Amino acid sequence: MGFFEWVRTNSEHYLMEASQREMAKKYLGTEPPVIGATVKDIFFRRLFVPIYRLLPYGVRRMVMMAMPGSHKREWGGRQKPS
Amino acid sequence: MALRIVVVGGGAAGIGAAGTAHQLAPDASVTVYTEFEDVGYSPCGIPYVHGKEIPKFENLFLQDKAFYEQMGLDIHYETRVSSFDLANQKVTVEGEGEVPYDKLVIATGFNYKDPGVPGTDLEGLYYVKNIRQAMEWDKILDDVKKAVVVEASPLGLEMVTALAHRGIETHLVDPHPWALAEVGDPDIMKPVMDSWTEMGVQQHYNTKVEAFLGEGKVRAIQTNEGELECDLAVICTHKEPNNRLAREAGLEIGSTGGIIVDQRMATSKPNVYAAGDCNELPHGITKIPIQGLSGSHAYSQGKVAGTNAGGGDRVYQPVYVPWGMVAGKWMIGGVSFGETLANALGIPFVAGVAQGISRARYYPDMKPVRVKLLAEPGTLKLIGAQLVGGEGIKERCDFLAVAAKTGVTLKDLATMENVYSPPIGALNEPIAMAAQNGLASLKKS
Repeated sequence: MGFFEWVRTNSEHYLMEASQREMAKKYLGTEPPVIGATVKDIFFRRLFVPIYRLLPYGVRRMVMMAMPGSHKREWGGRQKPS
Repeated sequence: MALRIVVVGGGAAGIGAAGTAHQLAPDASVTVYTEFEDVGYSPCGIPYVHGKEIPKFENLFLQDKAFYEQMGLDIHYETRVSSFDLANQKVTVEGEGEVPYDKLVIATGFNYKDPGVPGTDLEGLYYVKNIRQAMEWDKILDDVKKAVVVEASPLGLEMVTALAHRGIETHLVDPHPWALAEVGDPDIMKPVMDSWTEMGVQQHYNTKVEAFLGEGKVRAIQTNEGELECDLAVICTHKEPNNRLAREAGLEIGSTGGIIVDQRMATSKPNVYAAGDCNELPHGITKIPIQGLSGSHAYSQGKVAGTNAGGGDRVYQPVYVPWGMVAGKWMIGGVSFGETLANALGIPFVAGVAQGISRARYYPDMKPVRVKLLAEPGTLKLIGAQLVGGEGIKERCDFLAVAAKTGVTLKDLATMENVYSPPIGALNEPIAMAAQNGLASLKKS
């Protein structure tokens, strides 16, 4: 797994975990996720997620768009019907 | 010399590419390599044969081998491609040697994520993918008393439902707090989970698999909550792009692990295309790449790749991802973002929710339909939806995907016209009701 894949996989996991915790509070009867306590868990939960959420959406999006991917190639055309 | 097109992979994307390339360039030689015994069937139908909704596996085949032969496709079954030499435009095929190409289409699909725990080499672990293996597993299912489905992914939901239909004592083990928790919202999934309980399914959420136990054959699953005895474990972990050969050949890979492509499905190397579950595509709303979509996406991408490989010009577009399925006694579905995912990514939204009905309230078999719409604050353009109901979910998801793609707003949906006919539609369309509720909540705030 490359560096950017590692960053994305972990970012998504911990952001989703935080969101699931909030959904559990919103929808009564829903269990919150069980959280781990490794160094990685603590780093992402206590540092990454709060910092990500403090950033304005435009900045977050800019960071995401800076990662390598298909979005950086040409995607402006119109699909022709088959 | 005739154009030589090589397609690696015989799933929806590969066959879509090969067929389209052949139609466009009938003089070209189109060769397909697949490591499996068959092409041209619907693997997505396998859970429904296991669940006895479909009587036999043969019904899943779209065409037989003779059809493709008559069509002019040269399909090499049970044949493995071991490497790509992109600089010299050759692939190495086990038992055949080096095969040159003018255009290469990579359609190598996905693999299930390795559970990463001891015991994955035991017998009795079922990865649902290949129809011939599914036929053998189906015979085994006749004697299975107790099965564990590992992870409540989309396939996991289908397999839990299928095994419960079949009368097998079914356990679901999932590390998340509710079923399909990375996609579905808790209020959408609750009816499904309740219906599984009614069907006798035992659900173990927030539970991680630590090992598969047994001597030669699985007899139990060790979890952080204890040991679960079983005759069979169905592994429904996350789908990962199968792109080892592409990586080794030096093709650019994105942050999802999928092969980077453009709108023509062209990769980072000349004359090489990639389609289906092995690549990644930008999302229509965020433009951020995503990976691992449906069979219909794979087939469409294959047709685009095949057209361009065959000398034509065709483009694909960013995706809005309508999805849907039957789970338990319900149909669920959605478009792009649900509340949980939008909240996770920090995408701002306003929401409107409504509980409606699928037919006139007095008409027999009327079903509830719950619709949740997410819209961009300010513009009120639709950015997502989630639905659960008894019928009519797929059609609403397809419609809402087009609505999101074309910039339809909550205001448009609140005043939409709808079909009213007692057997097929109620006076009040649930989508319109959800949009109206969303607008009303904005006025209050």
